[in-house]
Amino acid sequence: MDFESLSADLRSLQARALEEISAAVDPGALDALQIQYLGKKGDLTAVLRGIGALPADDRPRVGAIANEVGEAVKGALATRGTELRSQVQTIRLAAEKVDVTLPGRPVARGALHPIPETIEAIAEVFGQFGFVIHEGPEVEDDLTNFQMLNIAPDHPARDLWDTLYVDIPGYLLRTHTSPGQIRVMQSTRPPIRALLPGRCFRYEAVDASHGSEFFQVEGLMVDEGTSMADLKGLLDEFAHALFGPRKTRFRPGYYPFTEPSVAFDVECVVCGGVGCPACSKSGWMTILGAGMVHPVVLQYGGIDPERYQGFAFGMGVERIANLRHAVPDLRYYLENDLRFLEQFR
Amino acid sequence: MRVPLSWLREYVDVQQTSEQLAERLTLLGMEVKGIEAWGADWRSVVVGELLTVEKHPNADRLHLTTVNVGSGEPLHIVCGAHNIAPGQRVPVALPGAVLPGERRIERTEKMGIASEGMLCSGDELHITSDAEGILILPPGTPLGRQLSDLYGDVVLDVDVKPNRGDALCLIGLAREVAAATGATVRWPEIKVEETGGPVGDRLTVEVRDGVLCTRFVGRWISGAKICPSPDTVQMRLQAAGMRPVSNVVDASNYVMLELGKPTHTFDGSAVHEGTIIVRRAVAGERLETLDHVWRDLTPETLIIADPQGPIGIAGVMGGAESEITDATTEIAIESAIFDPVSIRRTGHRFALRSEASLRFEKGQEFRLARIGADRVAQLTLAWAGGSCARGVVDTAPNEPVSPRLAFRPSRVSKLLGAPIDTAEQRDLLKRVGIETEAAPTGSRIRVAAAPKPLEIDPGSEEVVMAVVPTWRRDLEVEADVVEEVARVRGYETTPSHLPDTLMPAYRPSPLKVRNSIRETLAGAGLTEVVTHALVSPENDARLQWPGDGGLAIASPAAGGVIAVTNPLSSQHSVLRQHVVPSLLGVLALNERQGREDVAVFEVGKGYGRVGDAPQEWTRLAFVLSGDAQPAAWNRPARPYDLDDAKGIVEMICRRLHTPPPSYRPDTRGFPFHPGRALTAEATADAESVSGRVAELHPDALEMWELRAQRVIVAELAIRGLDEATVPRIHVEPIARFPVVERDLAVIVDESRTAAEVEAAIRSHGGALLRGHRLFDLYRGAPLATDEKSLAYRLVFGADDRTLAEAEIDAAVAAVRSGLEIDLGAHIRS
Ligand SMILES: [Zn+2]
Repeated sequence: MDFESLSADLRSLQARALEEISAAVDPGALDALQIQYLGKKGDLTAVLRGIGALPADDRPRVGAIANEVGEAVKGALATRGTELRSQVQTIRLAAEKVDVTLPGRPVARGALHPIPETIEAIAEVFGQFGFVIHEGPEVEDDLTNFQMLNIAPDHPARDLWDTLYVDIPGYLLRTHTSPGQIRVMQSTRPPIRALLPGRCFRYEAVDASHGSEFFQVEGLMVDEGTSMADLKGLLDEFAHALFGPRKTRFRPGYYPFTEPSVAFDVECVVCGGVGCPACSKSGWMTILGAGMVHPVVLQYGGIDPERYQGFAFGMGVERIANLRHAVPDLRYYLENDLRFLEQFR
Repeated sequence: MRVPLSWLREYVDVQQTSEQLAERLTLLGMEVKGIEAWGADWRSVVVGELLTVEKHPNADRLHLTTVNVGSGEPLHIVCGAHNIAPGQRVPVALPGAVLPGERRIERTEKMGIASEGMLCSGDELHITSDAEGILILPPGTPLGRQLSDLYGDVVLDVDVKPNRGDALCLIGLAREVAAATGATVRWPEIKVEETGGPVGDRLTVEVRDGVLCTRFVGRWISGAKICPSPDTVQMRLQAAGMRPVSNVVDASNYVMLELGKPTHTFDGSAVHEGTIIVRRAVAGERLETLDHVWRDLTPETLIIADPQGPIGIAGVMGGAESEITDATTEIAIESAIFDPVSIRRTGHRFALRSEASLRFEKGQEFRLARIGADRVAQLTLAWAGGSCARGVVDTAPNEPVSPRLAFRPSRVSKLLGAPIDTAEQRDLLKRVGIETEAAPTGSRIRVAAAPKPLEIDPGSEEVVMAVVPTWRRDLEVEADVVEEVARVRGYETTPSHLPDTLMPAYRPSPLKVRNSIRETLAGAGLTEVVTHALVSPENDARLQWPGDGGLAIASPAAGGVIAVTNPLSSQHSVLRQHVVPSLLGVLALNERQGREDVAVFEVGKGYGRVGDAPQEWTRLAFVLSGDAQPAAWNRPARPYDLDDAKGIVEMICRRLHTPPPSYRPDTRGFPFHPGRALTAEATADAESVSGRVAELHPDALEMWELRAQRVIVAELAIRGLDEATVPRIHVEPIARFPVVERDLAVIVDESRTAAEVEAAIRSHGGALLRGHRLFDLYRGAPLATDEKSLAYRLVFGADDRTLAEAEIDAAVAAVRSGLEIDLGAHIRS
């Protein structure tokens, strides 16, 4: 064995290895070639066994060639390996193709009921102006529901509230959220800005536009010098927040617990003020009642009507929700047909 | 109140269109709810002249007529009335006409003879009450004209508020029109020709209760003849919504609509001894009222009586015996002022509320007693003839002076938030008949009246005295004057500005916790519902939902059920104590609509009573039925089960930052599945959750007629649902040293619960045990049939070091031996 033949063996080994590597079609074959050529018992090692028979001068030269061959084979293995992995990946990805237009896996989502959601929307607007939420009892006493609101037991205005009475003497189901005014005034001192949402009851046959149970939001503001102009300013903000930029107007209303009393109208949300069946051709829709708190009511609330004055307003939640969502029938709210509720999802 | 414009124009000039007038009245506080074209439902009804009237050859009761309707050939019309004669002008419904009540008139054949239309009675046109005869029109009525052009009117429907009884009449509304438009009110000329003898010879009045009847004015007419009122009067009454009866009764009703003064007319011959006594009834007295119902009178009832007994319920309804009939000739007229509260109570007591009693309830202007009596007498004489006795019986002839009400113009400006000078305020008040004058020194301001009166000394502020018109009984305090100024000036002139005064102190919202739970549940796929608080008594009772015994949070002593004493229906007659039955109702309704997958929740109230103290509490309830995961193309279906409900409870606990809930079995059975019911409880410092979670018993499903195989329900008390508690989060430092996990399979007897196993793990795990999680539950070989294996992953760690193997082994060994000793468990690691 001499230098020439040994180096020729190495070169031919390299040539053979590179050819076989480039012909390999899967990573397993590459692994086998690696072992075959570069392994401890591989061909390169086998060739180098002949190195001991060479003269000492030739050994480093053969070693250098062997290194070259080894590097070349390693390089070819790596290159081919990358090539093959990339091919495999391409094939796998191609095989994994899906119809991306198929619908996704459903994630459950329930709907929130429009009554509490509307209360929330109302509270959000007034909350920005410092109105804080209070709540009062639904089983209310006659004194707070009527008498302290300046509605004596035989007041003709009692006809405005057909009342459901309960089997506890002196109690009834509150006919409006207004008794909350008394409770707030009795429990807090001015400046007062309070919002009172809640369920109310009336002795009223149920049809598309009446319910025996319904929801109201009451507002109360009391301070030195709180005026009807403040009321108008706030209600304008409210109307614009919920119904967009529309004209509004004040006109006289009547409640025993406010003086002066106000009805607050907004331009019809259906026809925009031209006149249509929804607004009885008037172009206006009444969205709430309000007024300056009656001095008798302030006194029952423990507030000096000479020093303080204030306003109160009350609105039907269903009315507001109807106008926002075009709900055709009041009965939808307490019936809870999911085909209705799920539209609010 | 229905206001025919043609009638209103008698008292005030109206230059505006009806729409304009309606808007002006509305802006003045007299809301016009509707504008009705009266007579618009007479379509193709024209004026005709009868040319011939002959007997029908085949029917005795019918006539054959020919009618000239102004153009074309005369029409041949068969008619059943007997008051017709050639030359009369009558309303003719042409073929194709439509009458009130959508009655269509076509060419027909009557007993073999063709009829080309119909002659109309007043009743058929809803003009008069006469259904027998054809309505005979005045001779000059233009031929061929549409009846609606001649007799049509515009009727405003005005919503007169309860405090404005004075405006429940044409004169009252004419005053409002005048205030709105600047026109002047024309009173009718009221004059009674007294041709009879002194009234005292015919009528004596004795008021025995001067509190309930403050004034009684009586008049007497002899020799009247009862017949229908003139057609024009009948038409007016009809348009105003009042049915014509007879001339005398109509006179009384006419005056009520015209002046707002209810009066009553008696058949004078039925008033014994010509003596009217106004008194309270005596227990046991009875009266047959005009509607032919016998009424048992009570001592609270004010009655009109004669010496023999009751002849009417004061202000509410007359007696049948003294009713005006066709034979009546003598007429006693009553025009009185009664106590509003007494009339209101009487009306309620007898469930009799008439147009008259509604006006009495609102209070009457004192002057109207005399004016009303005179006006009824005048109209009765005009429509029924006879002669009126000289003079009146009047128990309180002195007319009161107008009350005075002091007000501060500065206060008006301050309440309205708009500076209005004194002169303008006085001008505005004058437009609604409120004169003003200088206030005497020392005038006090009435800020509030009964039941909480307050009068104050105005100090140095300017004070003006308002002279309150006698008819304005609603003006009592200074704020009432403010409203008058505001409404005459126009509410629409109110300036608009945002409050710039102090803000109130912070207050946490009671809706905060509720909203976070609502949003969490919606995110978990549950839909929110809002159901009735009023339910049927069987609703709660038949589900037998257990009370709060044994729960950490009990309702505030729920006590007994609160019932409504005047329910609208038995379906809504008691206040619910639990929310779950309502949700089952929602489930049933949606099942009927074909929905199978229903997951709904409600944050709602329960109600109860302890003695005479009502209680209310707020609960979260939910119901799960059908599939938790409906099948999709990429996922199999999975039905709801108890674990879903517990998962929801656990999620709520996490949301409220309480520890995980602990579960205890509830084996009571009905209404629960005896093996699938539990109580869940979790408490932290400020928050707590406690309640019941269960699969319903099949018998309960049947009772509610539910189709679902399984229904999972829960009702939870959550502190914070109606209080503003805000959960606080205290952060634990992140562990600096790694934790180590060890798995442990705990083989126990079937009777052992997971809660027991976990309690034992926790109690023996020592300080190093950081957590545990059940990851498998296995039954079957090689376990014995009464055994199960619960596989837990235990997590160990320490804050100050990486644990040594020996430490972990010791901790696991402690857990093992604890389980073996406490529960007789076998352990496989
Ligand atoms: Zn409209």
